[in-house]
Amino acid sequence: MSVDLTVRERILEAGYTCVARYGLAKTTVEDVARASGLSRATLYRYFPGGRDQLLGDVIAWETGRFFGRLAEAVAGAPDFPSLLEEALLFAHRAVEEHEVLQKVLQTEPERVLPQLTVEIERILVFIRRFLVPYLEREDLRPGVEPEEAADYVARMLLSFIGNQGRWDLTDPAQVAELVRTELLAGVLAGDR
Amino acid sequence: MMTLVDTDRLGTQEQRVIDAALRCIARWGIGKTTLDDVAREASCSRATIYRLFPGGKDALLAATTRLELARFFSGLARTFDEAADLEDLLVGGIIYASRSLAGHEALQFVLAYEPEVVLPKVAFRQADRVLTTVSAFAAPYLAPHVGADDAPRVAEWVARLVLTYTLCPADGVDVGDEESVRRLVRTYVLPGLVTAVR
Repeated sequence: MSVDLTVRERILEAGYTCVARYGLAKTTVEDVARASGLSRATLYRYFPGGRDQLLGDVIAWETGRFFGRLAEAVAGAPDFPSLLEEALLFAHRAVEEHEVLQKVLQTEPERVLPQLTVEIERILVFIRRFLVPYLEREDLRPGVEPEEAADYVARMLLSFIGNQGRWDLTDPAQVAELVRTELLAGVLAGDR
Repeated sequence: MMTLVDTDRLGTQEQRVIDAALRCIARWGIGKTTLDDVAREASCSRATIYRLFPGGKDALLAATTRLELARFFSGLARTFDEAADLEDLLVGGIIYASRSLAGHEALQFVLAYEPEVVLPKVAFRQADRVLTTVSAFAAPYLAPHVGADDAPRVAEWVARLVLTYTLCPADGVDVGDEESVRRLVRTYVLPGLVTAVR
């Protein structure tokens, strides 16, 4: 399987394995070199900023993979509200069950959170681009533009993925209610 | 959970030291601010600070956080009291909260240069604390408009909006600007409430 990976991806995957094993603070370039079967020199060629750049890129890479899996999981939804419901259910569960994320959130929040915050802007762009084509096919309320609505919905999705607050995002009925009111009441025209 | 400090009851000397601490943090951050810095800024002695805040820097920081939260919420209460209807309540609350966060120099310095200090207290599961505190505070003001059952979730919804647009500014939305916020509230929030009230 690893023959298909580019060298960069091979390093990132090895970095991710090391973070899962040792945590962010203790992972060294040496560890990642060993885990990837590449030399330190090669690692520095791909990540001239060394450890910090490598770990930052590992977090960005896994974040990208997470939202890629999410997009894939919901792509077959029958309509737009169902798509958002499935996205919330899937993402909530995926965050809860993401062992590496939960581990670093528990043990090294001060290291992982600043990095994840840097990613937010990129994640928002990703979700927005994913949503726009769906919104373009929907009947929107007067004055609502697909791009702008996509930004609003993306922000709400991300907010709920990070923290469910008063809602129980394992309960499909609650998720449907949340999507119908807070995410889409202002977006979709018609009898909801 | 969060005790609202009566700001008037705090001695003026305590307030002076806390305000000095805030100026130091806005300049150098939490890590580099020493009690000597704060003492100099407040024109008092280190001994005075220890007397006012037994425990030193940690106690002073905890008191500073408490006082700033109390100030924030008493300002929010004034904003809510002035609102004539639901739309004004939501718009006023969002603008007040956004401007308070954006204009808080100490907070902004810490977010920019010492995010590891503040983010672990507010992200993922820890956001519960922020969301429940805000929603417990704002719900009674919202209840007459949206009903007591829906008030807490509406408050939480609006708190989410403030956080997302403050932490990650959008191209088209300026949460410090009244016209922009009014449009946001009218477009995305009010339709969800009319549905809920009926």
